[in-house]
Amino acid sequence: MIKSIQGLYHYRELIGALAWKNISVRYKQAYLGIAWAVLKPVVLMLIFTVVKGFVGIESGDVPYPILTFAALLPWIFFQESASEGINSVTGNAPLIKKIYFPREVFPLTAMVTKTVELAISFLILAAMMVYYQMLPTAQALWVPLIIGYTMLVALVVSFFGAAMNVYYRDVGQMLPVVLSLLMYTSPVIYPLSLVREKLVVQQAAGDWSDRLYTLYLCNPLAGIIDNFQRVLLKGLPPDWSTLSPGLVLTLLLLPLSYLFFKRAEAWFADVI
Amino acid sequence: MSSIVEVDHLYKEYRLGQIAGIRGTAARAFGKLSGRPVKERERFYALQDINLHISSGEVVGIIGSNGAGKSTLLKHLANITQPTSGSVSVHGSVAPLIEVGAGINPELTGRENIFLNSAILGIPKARTREQLDGIIEFAEIEQFIDTPVKRYSSGMQVRLGFAIATSMDADLLIVDEVLAVGDIAFQRKCFDRMEELIKRQGKTVILVSHNLRQVERLCSRVVLLDRGQVVADDDARTVCNLFYQRSDEKIKQSVARQGANNQLGGDADQIQVLGVKLVDAEGVATDQVDYDGTTRIAIDLRIRAATDNLIVGLGVHTTDLLYLASTDTEGEFSPGTLEPGDYRMHARVQHFPFLPGVYSFRLAVSHGSPPSMAYYAENLCPVTVGFADGQSRARNGEFGFVPLPTEWALSQVDQDQD
Repeated sequence: MIKSIQGLYHYRELIGALAWKNISVRYKQAYLGIAWAVLKPVVLMLIFTVVKGFVGIESGDVPYPILTFAALLPWIFFQESASEGINSVTGNAPLIKKIYFPREVFPLTAMVTKTVELAISFLILAAMMVYYQMLPTAQALWVPLIIGYTMLVALVVSFFGAAMNVYYRDVGQMLPVVLSLLMYTSPVIYPLSLVREKLVVQQAAGDWSDRLYTLYLCNPLAGIIDNFQRVLLKGLPPDWSTLSPGLVLTLLLLPLSYLFFKRAEAWFADVI
Repeated sequence: MSSIVEVDHLYKEYRLGQIAGIRGTAARAFGKLSGRPVKERERFYALQDINLHISSGEVVGIIGSNGAGKSTLLKHLANITQPTSGSVSVHGSVAPLIEVGAGINPELTGRENIFLNSAILGIPKARTREQLDGIIEFAEIEQFIDTPVKRYSSGMQVRLGFAIATSMDADLLIVDEVLAVGDIAFQRKCFDRMEELIKRQGKTVILVSHNLRQVERLCSRVVLLDRGQVVADDDARTVCNLFYQRSDEKIKQSVARQGANNQLGGDADQIQVLGVKLVDAEGVATDQVDYDGTTRIAIDLRIRAATDNLIVGLGVHTTDLLYLASTDTEGEFSPGTLEPGDYRMHARVQHFPFLPGVYSFRLAVSHGSPPSMAYYAENLCPVTVGFADGQSRARNGEFGFVPLPTEWALSQVDQDQD
């Protein structure tokens, strides 16, 4: 593992160059350029806000638009890193067949690419915070760590999914379905506090409520989104009780996913 | 010198067919349950027991017909794929020019592509920046360097790819058919660049090419692959000649299968060529000729209708169809008007001038005036030229096709009078 991290350092220029290529190619002949990157979260935020006007979602003392936008940032970052990551190996078949470098460069590149787009979305979030007069506190320093954790989650999915996708393209087909399902089981449209209210306080599912709540938190995105909102919008310290189930799961799965990828890697060029 | 490439007992197996979908899996499971034989996917060995050790500084050519396993072998050396069994180890950095411009992105400009491809090849950015001007100049695209590559001509694209790839400072260069890019002038330049890398910088190079002349010229050692196996591993000339011979046999076989499809012209009703053969002094067919010896060719013709002005042309070419010499009967020998019947034309070359190697003949027959072609064929009766006893192999140069008779003299030049 340490060796592979050293290896990655060696390939940092390559990852940088490929990520830059991805971004530059994607927006090159688009008049609006990279502005498109932020369009998705903004549009989704507007839709959710309108929907919220009909169904009424309790957002506490934080205005709903900014709350859901803050949820959309890590969510979209995860979703796109994962889906780009999964398709990154099959999408680079010509390179895989011609030149050797460690193949994990591809999922990593996908993630770096998305990090740049995330950074741009942060500008929008900052503008919204100014508008709602919500100045960040020192707790906002947790944000990079939470994003780093999101990266690890995306990598778990990307490594495993990218390797599987080389052999069975079903993965690529299945992905949009699974990801949209995952969005509804993550506190994107609704805040996590609503789930806690239902399951922990009201015990809505009877005896299973507490277990169901833990299961809900095993989705790392639940902890990520909730804590992202906490540290940035509410100025509260991270809540480890919501973070830990997903974090433990991620740290367990990451080495497995990576090893799976490395073992499959040897045959990529033959199968792809 | 130490080995830079060590390949031991390398096997590579592929399975034919494709990865089973859910239907195939279900059918197999059903077959297994019901005890019927299940069809396994057929196995195919792309490489079988390859052993290859290359010392640093060697220039090794790999030749073989299509599907012989050349590119598969290169893929193993470049670490793109893994052996089924056996081992491959390469000590030092590798520049895999498996296909130039593999990483070229059409949307990016030439300059951007240089940086991207250099990164893909593992060239540090600082070094690329140093070499940028050299690469642009070599690729001859100064004017277009800030234009997206998708607007380049295909020649410009390959030039760019080649220029980037050869700027890499690697211990081992793996070159697959890249010299066949661009126009003649650029090919010349690529060739010179390769020669410089080889001769001056002493790089280890593995070269795969179908251009045997190039291989012969650049490589000190050549490996011939056939159906995944090493057939020969020797000096360039020996192996190339062996390959020529084998290719000839293949060509002969396919010609025999297809019949006389190399017969041209609609005049077969008038003149038919029944056979062409090389014969010795006794008239017995042969395929061996001595260098500088007498060569006799017998051409059997069947004239079906009275024919005027019969012209027979004969040429010698190498097995890769480089025309070396030709001769014909026009103005030399006129048989007059021929009545229907079978004839044999005898052609005798007193001093067959070509140095040892494998050569073939081509034959053209025409008649009438203006002459109309009745028959034309190439790759006829391949002949192996050897030295007769007593002719010294060492005396004759090994390069080229004909000796160059030369008189040498040496005289002292007086500096003062100059």
